[in-house]
Amino acid sequence: MRLFQKLRRRGSPAASSGSSNYAYVTARVRAMKSNLLPNETYPRLINMDLDEITRFIEETQYKQDVDELARKFKGVDLIEHALNRNLAVTFSKMIDISEGELNYLITEYLKNYDIWDIKTILRGKYYNATLEEIKDNLVSAGQFKYNFLSELAEKESYENVIDALSNTDYYPILKNYDGTNLPEIENQLDTLYYQRLFNAIGTPKSSDRKLFSKLIRTEIDIKNIKTMFRMKKEGVEDGELEDLVLDGGLRFSLKEINKMIPLPFADFINSLEKYPYWEAMSDLVTPDMESLVDLETSLTKYTIKSAASFSHAYPLSIVPIMDYMISKKNEVNNLRIITRGKAANLDEDIIKNQLVI
Amino acid sequence: MGTKDVKPTRSELIELKKKIKLSQSGHKLLKMKRDGLILEFFEILNKAKGVRNELDDAYDNATEKIGIAEAVEGRMVIKSTALALKEGPVISLESHNIMGVVVPKIEASSVHKSINKRGYGILGTSSCIDETVDSYEILVDKIILAAEIETTMKRLLEDIEKTKRRVNALEFKVIPEMQEAMDFIRFRLDEMERENTFRLKRIKA
Repeated sequence: MRLFQKLRRRGSPAASSGSSNYAYVTARVRAMKSNLLPNETYPRLINMDLDEITRFIEETQYKQDVDELARKFKGVDLIEHALNRNLAVTFSKMIDISEGELNYLITEYLKNYDIWDIKTILRGKYYNATLEEIKDNLVSAGQFKYNFLSELAEKESYENVIDALSNTDYYPILKNYDGTNLPEIENQLDTLYYQRLFNAIGTPKSSDRKLFSKLIRTEIDIKNIKTMFRMKKEGVEDGELEDLVLDGGLRFSLKEINKMIPLPFADFINSLEKYPYWEAMSDLVTPDMESLVDLETSLTKYTIKSAASFSHAYPLSIVPIMDYMISKKNEVNNLRIITRGKAANLDEDIIKNQLVI
Repeated sequence: MGTKDVKPTRSELIELKKKIKLSQSGHKLLKMKRDGLILEFFEILNKAKGVRNELDDAYDNATEKIGIAEAVEGRMVIKSTALALKEGPVISLESHNIMGVVVPKIEASSVHKSINKRGYGILGTSSCIDETVDSYEILVDKIILAAEIETTMKRLLEDIEKTKRRVNALEFKVIPEMQEAMDFIRFRLDEMERENTFRLKRIKA
């Protein structure tokens, strides 16, 4: 069946055209979702020591990844690489089994991994990092396969990397990289990701697509809130902040954001009270807050929980597929938070606070 | 200086008197220097204790922050982000003088960078990374300060020890030996004077 699906997809002229195979993919996703760890696993893991957690992870779906990477990595690094590898394989599978418009939407959604890998390679070239250092930090969970990313990493210079990407959507941005303006290029790539995602949604007509749109646009809002908090707390000039806000949010229009940007920090916080995201922030934000970590975690939890809340609404749509991808990513994050947290001797409360259960 | 090596002459006596006077004033000056250095040392010791505590706190904070960042974002993300910044802080080393002791003055520039000058993009990173970078910048500052103060303290201690040895040598060895030699010369000169007087009296008789 899978071979048949692949052959059919190869025959399709463009990723966004052709009929989507929602029924097939959602059935596969339902099966894959049953492999996800139940929420009650995490409190149990917090009470285990690191060796017990490692043994537990080796008995789950991550076993094969752990075994294959065991020659290269050890300890917590092995767990983290195995988790990322499993995530990459799972997400690549989602791209491989989907067709038509569904494939287009999933690919667009996962392009943040491609962007991440491009950034890692450019940073590596900028720093003159070794090939091993660059390759170890790549996660091929997007459209780019690991072999292609390896070839990119092997290029002599950043110019060669950019040339090799000349057929991609990233090239118009990457061609402006002169070896000194990496932060701007990184920000533009991330902005492009959200722009493309927003364009991919288009004007949703069906109810399931409206939910998908809501999910993506909520993510854009949350990103904008996080960016505004970070930049305002650091006292960065308003002009620079304006360049970083993303268009297409659900609750925040660019006009509203531009009104918020010049506000002093305390007034900026007050201006957020009328938005639904306030419930996730109200206990954490104060004009003299020192850390934004808990706020960011709370906002991330809000995004994930709001996605999960409507995941059962339309069984044969993009919604349960997105919910699975978000849940899978969350599982990997939670396992990493516990293992890394334990390895760093972090307080149990800090670990619990960061988990999204 | 053993008394056997001393020539019991008047010129030697004058010479010794001069040397004793010089040694005594040197001894007084060195004692003052030692006391001054000790005072300076205790001042710096208090400062060093404070800086060491601040350094320990900064280290604990940075370790916790990177622990959280590695847990939340993953070590791969942290490593990749770290590659975005190539330039380290510029450290300049100068020296200044405390009572003849040359101590270092370490100054660092470009340790603290604003969020938009750290080499990584804002949209693809999180506040975990910002706070980790902040905590390590503070740690670098504290390390530089601690290095300056602790090196100063070490140099002062070495010099206090050296000055103390000199003071003791002057007080318990050099000056007493010279005084002994001076007493010997005086005694010998008096003896010679008495011998001369006796000899003259015998000739007269």
